[in-house]
Amino acid sequence: MDELLEQFLIEGRELTQQASDDLLALERDPSDAARIDSVFRAVHTLKGSVGLFHFAAMGAVLHVAEDLLGQVRNGHFVADRPVIDALLDCISCSETWIEAIAAAGSLPQGADEDSRRLQSALKATMARDVAVAHAPATTEDPSWLPPFLDRAADAVTVTRAANHALVALRYTPSSDCFFLGDDPMALARAIPGLVAFGLSARDAWDAPTLDPYACNLIIEALSTAPVDDIRAVFRFVADQVVVIEVAPGNVAATSIEQPQGSGEIATRTLRVEAGRIDALVDIVGELIVAKNALAHLAAQVAEKDATLGRALDASQADIARLVGDMHRDVMRVRMVPLAQTFRRFPRLVREIAGKLGKTVNFETVGDDVEADKGIVDGLFEPLLHVLRNAVDHGIEDAATRLAQRKPASGTISLEARRDNGQIVVTVTDDGAGIDPARLRAIAKTRGLMSNAALAALDDTAALDLIFAPGFTTAAAITDISGRGVGMDAVRSKVVALGGRVTIASTLGSGSTIRLSLPQAATVSTVMTVRVGTDRFGIPMETIAETARVATDRIIPIRSGEAFVLRDATIPLVSLASLLNVAGAPRATDVKLLIVASGDQRIGIEVDGFAERIDVLLRPMTGLLSGMTGVLGTALLGDGRVMMILDLPELLG
Amino acid sequence: MSVRLEGDRVRLDGPCRVEDAEPLLMLLRADPRRAVDLTGAGPLHAAIVQVLLALRPPITGQPGDPFLRTWLIPLLTLA
Repeated sequence: MDELLEQFLIEGRELTQQASDDLLALERDPSDAARIDSVFRAVHTLKGSVGLFHFAAMGAVLHVAEDLLGQVRNGHFVADRPVIDALLDCISCSETWIEAIAAAGSLPQGADEDSRRLQSALKATMARDVAVAHAPATTEDPSWLPPFLDRAADAVTVTRAANHALVALRYTPSSDCFFLGDDPMALARAIPGLVAFGLSARDAWDAPTLDPYACNLIIEALSTAPVDDIRAVFRFVADQVVVIEVAPGNVAATSIEQPQGSGEIATRTLRVEAGRIDALVDIVGELIVAKNALAHLAAQVAEKDATLGRALDASQADIARLVGDMHRDVMRVRMVPLAQTFRRFPRLVREIAGKLGKTVNFETVGDDVEADKGIVDGLFEPLLHVLRNAVDHGIEDAATRLAQRKPASGTISLEARRDNGQIVVTVTDDGAGIDPARLRAIAKTRGLMSNAALAALDDTAALDLIFAPGFTTAAAITDISGRGVGMDAVRSKVVALGGRVTIASTLGSGSTIRLSLPQAATVSTVMTVRVGTDRFGIPMETIAETARVATDRIIPIRSGEAFVLRDATIPLVSLASLLNVAGAPRATDVKLLIVASGDQRIGIEVDGFAERIDVLLRPMTGLLSGMTGVLGTALLGDGRVMMILDLPELLG
Repeated sequence: MSVRLEGDRVRLDGPCRVEDAEPLLMLLRADPRRAVDLTGAGPLHAAIVQVLLALRPPITGQPGDPFLRTWLIPLLTLA
């Protein structure tokens, strides 16, 4: 893909996200000047970048949206519900278009039509608001205006006498504008109907240190031309200009002061395409494998030449440490805040609730918790589904809620926190809750389980039925949820990310869906064991100790076996039988891994221990992801693939 | 060349662009008593205006350019 277009897509997504964040914030506080400024800038910049390509339909909509926002910014219109709605529609459509451009390189079919529809909706809010526009001004004057009007007193008197409307403007060019090819003076020349003109310095002039290439000017002007004609002159630097209609009689005016230094915050960041980081992760993974091969080689050398072997060993240990550091740092680069996914939800929840005629307070907590980018991205779909369900099935309609003495609007909260190296994400609603009896009944009609099995389920297990494939609780298939994918899709997505999902619910007071996920793919140290001709990896943290017990000290107990270790009787299970593979016949002693299972210890019989190695654990994907007892796979130094076992799951 | 030193005066001729700002600044810094003659000056780039505002050299000449004459000269010659 063309690099320029690629950049546009990245920026476009960020800008639409920024705009929608700002609009939602404005919905709560329509007078938040910083937000108004920010959304204006976002739309303005997006429009600018769209102009570089042939996406006329998109550019046209954004142009009208920018106009509307410009009016809001200058205090002509209030950002009330219809304005926010129209703008959000426009942003949401732009988002769709950006994705279409990413997929196909062009705007989708029907874009022209959508564009016209959105434009007229935006214009309609402006027409409607004309009355508001002429309402008396209540906002404070910007501090610069009165002194400027004083200086230009003669001009003000003359034009007042001639009954002209006056427009004041203050243009603070960005300090790097000369490099961008702007000439603020040329723009000043182009101001129509100029009646007063002033120049001042942003920072006091200092002749000895003046940098001729940094613009330090502030341009102020009074004009009798219509506001729109003046804005047209400054359309490319709209964010650097404040235009104010000076009210007749006194100097009262309507405006919003431009925040100082806005949009010029320099952050030291580097934007790198995720694919390049992934390539780096893969290389580090191979490096770990290569390092393991080196350990193997060192062992072989040591057999022939002990001194050389020790030297090689020491060098291998250094490399191992460095590779470990490198892996940790590379993985840290991939860590992003959950906010990247979370921030998309407020608008979507609002949309869903709107379609269903419900009002929902949506809050997010802990969006600064970080996780691997793959996990953060992968969470979007399952979380969206859970949130949809919460709005659709969880939150009752206002009448039902009021009848139950709940507030008319429901509350859904999305929370994330760190917990023991995992991240836990919960979605809690204060809706109707889920009736386990109803779930049992549905499972019965769908024939998901035998009656006896259903009856045996406790309420927690019955709630878990919601994740069963083919289970959909919606009585009516709605546009919102129930599109044939149920909560089972949520579970399989989360499991594919290496996580788990559970549900808790109290009838009448709401439900909580809890997702726990790994923070990142990690390097684990595993012990390799032999069973028959196969080798398997067991994560070191699950092994309490290893032991050898003479075969004649194994005690048969009914159908099983046990042995005594330090005065405790420990049951014995062979890994071969757990895995259903053929093991080697027992020699004079039995090799055992002692693992803790609950408060009990269990001895796992293996045919042999091999080396401890560091592996980059790859979770099972696709068809294999459902395999129980397997954590994932790892590539070995000699190129073979080894399965890493989840002993607690195998035993449980 | 829009910026020229003539005796003790710096002459600006025709449109002055951003790249003229540095030579102008050097000439004025070299001798702060130098005056700037705007008689033949056309539109001045903001960078030029900025140098004149910061160093405040004596300004001479009535330029033909209306914007310069009407709006800028009064600001540049302000005591």
